[in-house]
Amino acid sequence: MSDPAKSTRIPIVERVLEANDQLAETVRADLARRGIFAVDIIGAPGSGKTALLEATLRALKGRRRPAVLVGDLATRRDGDRLARWCDQVVQISTGQGCHLEAGQVREALKQVDLSEVDLLLIENVGNLICPVGFDLGQAAKVGVFAVTDGDDKAAKHPYLVQAADVLLLNKIDLLPYVSFDRTVFEADVRLLNPIVPILEVSSTTGAGLDAWLEWLDRSNADRLQP
Amino acid sequence: MHEFSIADALAAQVLRRAPAGRRVREVEIRVGALRGLEPAAMEMCWEAVTHDTALAGSVLVMDMRPWTLTCPACGRAWESPVPFAECSCGEASPRPTAGDELDLVSMTVDEDDDVGAEPTTGGAPTAGVEAEAR
Repeated sequence: MSDPAKSTRIPIVERVLEANDQLAETVRADLARRGIFAVDIIGAPGSGKTALLEATLRALKGRRRPAVLVGDLATRRDGDRLARWCDQVVQISTGQGCHLEAGQVREALKQVDLSEVDLLLIENVGNLICPVGFDLGQAAKVGVFAVTDGDDKAAKHPYLVQAADVLLLNKIDLLPYVSFDRTVFEADVRLLNPIVPILEVSSTTGAGLDAWLEWLDRSNADRLQP
Repeated sequence: MHEFSIADALAAQVLRRAPAGRRVREVEIRVGALRGLEPAAMEMCWEAVTHDTALAGSVLVMDMRPWTLTCPACGRAWESPVPFAECSCGEASPRPTAGDELDLVSMTVDEDDDVGAEPTTGGAPTAGVEAEAR
Protein backbone atom coordinates (compact mmCIF):
# COMPACT_ATOMS: atom_id res chain seq x y z
CA MET A 1 0.00 0.00 0.00
CA SER A 2 1.17 3.49 -0.73
CA ASP A 3 1.63 6.04 2.02
CA PRO A 4 -1.41 8.34 2.11
CA ALA A 5 0.82 11.20 3.25
CA LYS A 6 2.70 11.08 -0.04
CA SER A 7 0.10 12.64 -2.24
CA THR A 8 -0.08 15.44 -4.78
CA ARG A 9 -2.82 17.99 -5.23
CA ILE A 10 -3.55 18.58 -8.91
CA PRO A 11 -5.41 21.83 -9.62
CA ILE A 12 -7.93 21.51 -12.47
CA VAL A 13 -10.89 23.95 -12.56
CA GLU A 14 -13.35 22.55 -15.09
CA ARG A 15 -17.13 22.67 -15.04
CA VAL A 16 -18.57 19.45 -13.63
CA LEU A 17 -21.34 19.46 -16.23
CA GLU A 18 -18.90 20.22 -19.05
CA ALA A 19 -19.99 17.16 -21.07
CA ASN A 20 -23.69 18.13 -20.86
CA ASP A 21 -22.91 21.77 -21.62
CA GLN A 22 -20.94 20.87 -24.73
CA LEU A 23 -23.79 18.72 -26.04
CA ALA A 24 -26.22 21.55 -25.28
CA GLU A 25 -24.09 23.95 -27.32
CA THR A 26 -24.23 21.67 -30.36
CA VAL A 27 -28.03 21.39 -29.97
CA ARG A 28 -28.33 25.18 -29.62
CA ALA A 29 -26.17 25.83 -32.69
CA ASP A 30 -28.15 23.32 -34.76
CA LEU A 31 -31.52 24.79 -33.74
CA ALA A 32 -30.33 28.36 -34.36
CA ARG A 33 -29.06 27.41 -37.82
CA ARG A 34 -32.49 25.99 -38.64
CA GLY A 35 -34.24 29.09 -37.31
CA ILE A 36 -35.96 27.17 -34.51
CA PHE A 37 -36.74 28.99 -31.26
CA ALA A 38 -36.48 26.53 -28.35
CA VAL A 39 -37.85 27.06 -24.86
CA ASP A 40 -37.25 24.87 -21.79
CA ILE A 41 -40.40 24.92 -19.64
CA ILE A 42 -39.71 24.24 -15.97
CA GLY A 43 -42.27 23.95 -13.17
CA ALA A 44 -43.42 21.78 -10.29
CA PRO A 45 -45.58 18.69 -10.84
CA GLY A 46 -49.17 19.89 -11.06
CA SER A 47 -48.27 23.50 -11.86
CA GLY A 48 -50.11 23.06 -15.16
CA LYS A 49 -47.29 22.83 -17.68
CA THR A 50 -49.07 20.31 -19.91
CA ALA A 51 -52.40 22.16 -19.79
CA LEU A 52 -50.54 25.36 -20.63
CA LEU A 53 -48.92 23.64 -23.61
CA GLU A 54 -52.28 22.29 -24.77
CA ALA A 55 -53.74 25.81 -24.69
CA THR A 56 -50.60 27.19 -26.36
CA LEU A 57 -50.63 24.63 -29.17
CA ARG A 58 -54.35 25.21 -29.77
CA ALA A 59 -53.75 28.95 -30.07
CA LEU A 60 -50.69 28.50 -32.30
CA LYS A 61 -52.54 26.43 -34.93
CA GLY A 62 -51.83 27.99 -38.29
CA ARG A 63 -49.58 30.62 -36.71
CA ARG A 64 -46.41 28.71 -35.81
CA ARG A 65 -45.02 25.28 -36.66
CA PRO A 66 -44.31 23.78 -33.22
CA ALA A 67 -42.77 20.54 -32.06
CA VAL A 68 -42.91 19.33 -28.47
CA LEU A 69 -40.54 17.26 -26.37
CA VAL A 70 -42.02 16.18 -23.07
CA GLY A 71 -40.05 14.60 -20.25
CA ASP A 72 -41.56 12.40 -17.56
CA LEU A 73 -40.23 9.74 -15.23
CA ALA A 74 -42.93 7.37 -16.45
CA THR A 75 -45.99 7.06 -18.71
CA ARG A 76 -46.79 8.54 -22.12
CA ARG A 77 -49.85 10.39 -20.85
CA ASP A 78 -48.57 13.92 -21.38
CA GLY A 79 -47.28 13.04 -24.83
CA ASP A 80 -50.67 11.55 -25.76
CA ARG A 81 -52.49 14.65 -24.48
CA LEU A 82 -50.28 16.97 -26.50
CA ALA A 83 -50.37 14.83 -29.67
CA ARG A 84 -54.01 15.87 -30.09
CA TRP A 85 -52.79 19.42 -30.80
CA CYS A 86 -49.46 18.89 -32.49
CA ASP A 87 -48.19 16.41 -35.08
CA GLN A 88 -44.67 16.29 -33.74
CA VAL A 89 -44.60 15.25 -30.11
CA VAL A 90 -41.83 13.11 -28.61
CA GLN A 91 -42.24 11.70 -25.11
CA ILE A 92 -38.93 11.28 -23.28
CA SER A 93 -39.13 8.75 -20.44
CA THR A 94 -36.37 9.63 -18.02
CA GLY A 95 -36.77 6.55 -15.79
CA GLN A 96 -34.96 7.56 -12.61
CA GLY A 97 -33.97 10.98 -13.93
CA CYS A 98 -35.53 13.99 -12.22
CA HIS A 99 -34.65 16.34 -15.10
CA LEU A 100 -33.87 16.30 -18.81
CA GLU A 101 -30.28 16.42 -20.06
CA ALA A 102 -28.90 17.67 -23.36
CA GLY A 103 -28.16 14.17 -24.66
CA GLN A 104 -31.81 13.15 -24.26
CA VAL A 105 -32.92 16.23 -26.18
CA ARG A 106 -30.44 15.52 -28.96
CA GLU A 107 -31.69 11.92 -29.25
CA ALA A 108 -35.35 12.95 -29.17
CA LEU A 109 -34.80 15.54 -31.90
CA LYS A 110 -33.81 12.70 -34.26
CA GLN A 111 -37.49 11.73 -34.21
CA VAL A 112 -38.60 15.20 -35.28
CA ASP A 113 -38.77 16.51 -38.85
CA LEU A 114 -36.98 19.76 -38.03
CA SER A 115 -37.53 21.18 -41.51
CA GLU A 116 -41.22 21.50 -40.55
CA VAL A 117 -40.56 23.28 -37.23
CA ASP A 118 -39.97 26.88 -36.15
CA LEU A 119 -40.77 26.54 -32.43
CA LEU A 120 -39.56 23.82 -30.06
CA LEU A 121 -41.38 23.55 -26.74
CA ILE A 122 -39.59 21.35 -24.23
CA GLU A 123 -41.64 20.40 -21.19
CA ASN A 124 -39.12 19.39 -18.56
CA VAL A 125 -39.76 16.83 -15.82
CA GLY A 126 -42.01 18.32 -13.13
CA ASN A 127 -39.43 19.69 -10.70
CA LEU A 128 -38.50 23.23 -9.64
CA ILE A 129 -34.92 22.43 -8.68
CA CYS A 130 -32.99 19.84 -10.67
CA PRO A 131 -33.82 20.88 -14.27
CA VAL A 132 -32.53 24.43 -13.82
CA GLY A 133 -28.84 23.51 -13.77
CA PHE A 134 -28.90 21.35 -16.91
CA ASP A 135 -28.53 23.25 -20.17
CA LEU A 136 -30.59 21.62 -22.94
CA GLY A 137 -29.55 23.94 -25.74
CA GLN A 138 -32.66 26.10 -25.36
CA ALA A 139 -32.81 29.76 -26.37
CA ALA A 140 -34.93 30.67 -23.35
CA LYS A 141 -35.98 29.22 -20.02
CA VAL A 142 -39.60 29.52 -18.90
CA GLY A 143 -40.48 29.11 -15.21
CA VAL A 144 -44.03 28.08 -14.34
CA PHE A 145 -45.52 28.72 -10.90
CA ALA A 146 -49.17 28.14 -10.01
CA VAL A 147 -51.19 30.17 -7.50
CA THR A 148 -52.27 26.85 -5.97
CA ASP A 149 -48.64 26.12 -5.02
CA GLY A 150 -48.43 29.06 -2.60
CA ASP A 151 -46.83 32.50 -2.83
CA ASP A 152 -43.54 31.36 -1.24
CA LYS A 153 -42.39 29.19 -4.15
CA ALA A 154 -40.34 31.88 -5.88
CA ALA A 155 -38.38 32.61 -2.70
CA LYS A 156 -37.78 28.90 -2.17
CA HIS A 157 -36.49 28.33 -5.71
CA PRO A 158 -34.06 31.17 -6.36
CA TYR A 159 -32.10 29.41 -9.11
CA LEU A 160 -35.15 29.08 -11.37
CA VAL A 161 -36.21 32.67 -10.69
CA GLN A 162 -32.72 33.97 -11.53
CA ALA A 163 -32.24 31.74 -14.57
CA ALA A 164 -35.69 32.23 -16.13
CA ASP A 165 -36.21 34.51 -19.14
CA VAL A 166 -39.92 34.71 -18.33
CA LEU A 167 -42.06 33.54 -15.42
CA LEU A 168 -45.64 32.39 -15.87
CA LEU A 169 -47.99 32.60 -12.91
CA ASN A 170 -50.51 29.95 -13.84
CA LYS A 171 -54.05 29.09 -12.67
CA ILE A 172 -54.74 32.76 -12.10
CA ASP A 173 -58.49 31.96 -12.36
CA LEU A 174 -58.21 30.16 -9.00
CA LEU A 175 -56.86 33.23 -7.18
CA PRO A 176 -60.17 33.96 -5.38
CA TYR A 177 -60.16 30.46 -3.86
CA VAL A 178 -56.61 30.12 -2.56
CA SER A 179 -54.38 31.96 -0.15
CA PHE A 180 -51.86 33.49 -2.54
CA ASP A 181 -50.55 37.02 -2.03
CA ARG A 182 -49.43 38.40 -5.40
CA THR A 183 -47.47 41.23 -3.77
CA VAL A 184 -45.41 38.75 -1.71
CA PHE A 185 -44.74 36.59 -4.77
CA GLU A 186 -43.74 39.56 -6.92
CA ALA A 187 -41.57 41.16 -4.23
CA ASP A 188 -39.61 37.89 -3.84
CA VAL A 189 -39.21 37.56 -7.60
CA ARG A 190 -38.02 41.18 -7.93
CA LEU A 191 -35.38 40.76 -5.23
CA LEU A 192 -33.95 37.76 -7.05
CA ASN A 193 -34.49 38.97 -10.60
CA PRO A 194 -35.34 42.66 -11.18
CA ILE A 195 -36.04 42.30 -14.92
CA VAL A 196 -37.78 38.98 -15.60
CA PRO A 197 -41.32 39.47 -17.00
CA ILE A 198 -44.09 37.90 -14.90
CA LEU A 199 -47.08 36.88 -17.01
CA GLU A 200 -50.32 35.87 -15.29
CA VAL A 201 -52.13 33.16 -17.22
CA SER A 202 -54.95 30.67 -17.01
CA SER A 203 -54.91 27.72 -19.37
CA THR A 204 -58.52 26.99 -18.39
CA THR A 205 -60.09 30.40 -19.14
CA GLY A 206 -57.46 31.56 -21.64
CA ALA A 207 -56.75 34.69 -19.58
CA GLY A 208 -53.29 36.11 -20.26
CA LEU A 209 -52.49 33.63 -23.04
CA ASP A 210 -52.18 36.42 -25.61
CA ALA A 211 -49.36 38.04 -23.62
CA TRP A 212 -47.57 34.67 -23.43
CA LEU A 213 -47.93 34.06 -27.17
CA GLU A 214 -46.69 37.60 -27.83
CA TRP A 215 -43.71 36.93 -25.58
CA LEU A 216 -42.88 33.82 -27.63
CA ASP A 217 -43.11 35.76 -30.92
CA ARG A 218 -41.21 38.79 -29.64
CA SER A 219 -38.40 36.79 -27.96
CA ASN A 220 -37.97 34.82 -31.16
CA ALA A 221 -37.79 38.02 -33.20
CA ASP A 222 -35.37 39.65 -30.70
CA ARG A 223 -33.08 36.68 -30.97
CA LEU A 224 -33.01 36.92 -34.76
CA GLN A 225 -31.94 40.59 -34.61
CA PRO A 226 -28.30 40.97 -35.74
CA MET B 1 -32.27 14.79 -6.38
CA HIS B 2 -29.95 16.51 -8.86
CA GLU B 3 -27.08 15.54 -6.54
CA PHE B 4 -27.05 12.07 -8.05
CA SER B 5 -26.64 13.26 -11.65
CA ILE B 6 -23.99 15.72 -10.56
CA ALA B 7 -22.07 13.10 -8.55
CA ASP B 8 -22.28 10.76 -11.54
CA ALA B 9 -20.96 13.40 -13.95
CA LEU B 10 -18.23 14.35 -11.49
CA ALA B 11 -17.06 10.74 -11.03
CA ALA B 12 -16.80 10.28 -14.80
CA GLN B 13 -14.89 13.55 -15.08
CA VAL B 14 -12.45 12.62 -12.29
CA LEU B 15 -11.80 9.18 -13.78
CA ARG B 16 -11.13 10.85 -17.13
CA ARG B 17 -8.74 13.42 -15.67
CA ALA B 18 -6.91 11.33 -13.06
CA PRO B 19 -3.36 10.28 -13.97
CA ALA B 20 -3.30 6.61 -14.90
CA GLY B 21 -2.58 4.21 -12.07
CA ARG B 22 -2.61 6.83 -9.28
CA ARG B 23 -5.13 6.43 -6.49
CA VAL B 24 -7.44 9.42 -6.03
CA ARG B 25 -7.64 10.39 -2.34
CA GLU B 26 -9.62 13.59 -2.49
CA VAL B 27 -11.77 15.50 -4.95
CA GLU B 28 -12.52 19.17 -4.42
CA ILE B 29 -15.46 21.02 -5.97
CA ARG B 30 -16.69 24.60 -5.71
CA VAL B 31 -20.45 25.13 -5.64
CA GLY B 32 -22.31 28.42 -6.02
CA ALA B 33 -25.28 28.95 -3.68
CA LEU B 34 -27.70 29.12 -6.63
CA ARG B 35 -27.11 25.43 -7.34
CA GLY B 36 -28.99 24.50 -4.18
CA LEU B 37 -26.73 21.53 -3.63
CA GLU B 38 -27.23 19.72 -0.34
CA PRO B 39 -23.78 18.68 0.99
CA ALA B 40 -25.08 15.66 2.94
CA ALA B 41 -27.02 14.39 -0.08
CA MET B 42 -24.03 15.04 -2.31
CA GLU B 43 -21.74 13.06 0.01
CA MET B 44 -24.16 10.14 0.02
CA CYS B 45 -24.40 10.20 -3.78
CA TRP B 46 -20.63 10.39 -4.12
CA GLU B 47 -20.26 7.25 -2.02
CA ALA B 48 -22.95 5.52 -4.06
CA VAL B 49 -21.52 6.34 -7.50
CA THR B 50 -17.88 5.67 -6.56
CA HIS B 51 -18.59 2.38 -4.76
CA ASP B 52 -16.83 -0.47 -6.61
CA THR B 53 -14.90 1.95 -8.82
CA ALA B 54 -11.30 3.19 -8.71
CA LEU B 55 -12.62 6.19 -6.75
CA ALA B 56 -14.05 4.12 -3.87
CA GLY B 57 -13.10 5.63 -0.53
CA SER B 58 -12.14 9.01 -1.97
CA VAL B 59 -13.22 12.06 0.00
CA LEU B 60 -15.36 14.75 -1.63
CA VAL B 61 -14.53 18.23 -0.37
CA MET B 62 -17.18 20.84 -1.12
CA ASP B 63 -16.43 24.55 -1.08
CA MET B 64 -19.98 25.85 -0.72
CA ARG B 65 -20.00 29.50 -1.86
CA PRO B 66 -22.51 31.63 0.08
CA TRP B 67 -25.04 34.24 -0.99
CA THR B 68 -24.02 37.88 -1.01
CA LEU B 69 -26.65 40.19 0.44
CA THR B 70 -26.51 43.88 -0.41
CA CYS B 71 -28.56 46.35 1.60
CA PRO B 72 -30.32 48.99 -0.55
CA ALA B 73 -30.65 51.29 2.50
CA CYS B 74 -27.19 51.40 4.08
CA GLY B 75 -25.12 49.81 1.33
CA ARG B 76 -23.66 47.09 3.54
CA ALA B 77 -22.77 43.87 1.73
CA TRP B 78 -22.17 40.59 3.50
CA GLU B 79 -22.10 36.85 2.94
CA SER B 80 -24.99 34.69 4.07
CA PRO B 81 -25.92 31.01 3.82
CA VAL B 82 -29.55 32.02 3.04
CA PRO B 83 -30.86 34.39 0.34
CA PHE B 84 -33.34 36.30 2.49
CA ALA B 85 -32.22 38.03 5.70
CA GLU B 86 -32.76 41.37 7.37
CA CYS B 87 -29.93 43.92 7.47
CA SER B 88 -28.54 45.09 10.82
CA CYS B 89 -29.81 48.59 9.91
CA GLY B 90 -33.37 47.28 9.97
CA GLU B 91 -33.91 47.09 6.20
CA ALA B 92 -36.07 44.03 5.54
CA SER B 93 -35.16 43.29 1.93
CA PRO B 94 -31.46 43.23 1.08
CA ARG B 95 -30.80 42.07 -2.48
CA PRO B 96 -29.49 38.50 -2.75
CA THR B 97 -26.95 37.51 -5.40
CA ALA B 98 -25.04 34.28 -5.84
CA GLY B 99 -23.10 32.34 -8.40
CA ASP B 100 -24.13 29.13 -10.14
CA GLU B 101 -20.60 27.77 -10.50
CA LEU B 102 -20.18 24.03 -10.21
CA ASP B 103 -16.51 23.34 -10.80
CA LEU B 104 -14.07 20.54 -10.25
CA VAL B 105 -11.26 22.48 -8.58
CA SER B 106 -8.64 19.86 -7.82
CA MET B 107 -7.93 16.24 -7.11
CA THR B 108 -5.38 14.84 -4.72
CA VAL B 109 -3.69 11.66 -5.87
CA ASP B 110 -1.09 9.34 -4.35
CA GLU B 111 2.50 9.85 -5.33
CA ASP B 112 3.74 7.38 -7.88
CA ASP B 113 5.24 4.38 -6.05
CA ASP B 114 7.37 3.21 -8.93
CA VAL B 115 10.41 5.44 -9.08
CA GLY B 116 11.34 6.26 -12.65
CA ALA B 117 8.24 4.61 -14.07
CA GLU B 118 6.04 7.54 -15.03
CA PRO B 119 2.73 6.01 -16.09
CA THR B 120 1.97 7.28 -19.55
CA THR B 121 -0.11 4.44 -20.92
CA GLY B 122 -3.50 2.99 -19.95
CA GLY B 123 -1.90 -0.11 -18.46
CA ALA B 124 0.33 1.93 -16.18
CA PRO B 125 0.72 -0.41 -13.16
CA THR B 126 1.80 -3.33 -15.35
CA ALA B 127 4.14 -1.07 -17.30
CA GLY B 128 5.74 -0.02 -13.99
CA VAL B 129 6.39 -3.61 -12.96
CA GLU B 130 7.93 -4.38 -16.35
CA ALA B 131 10.19 -1.35 -16.09
CA GLU B 132 11.49 -2.52 -12.71
CA ALA B 133 12.04 -6.08 -13.92
CA ARG B 134 14.20 -4.94 -16.79
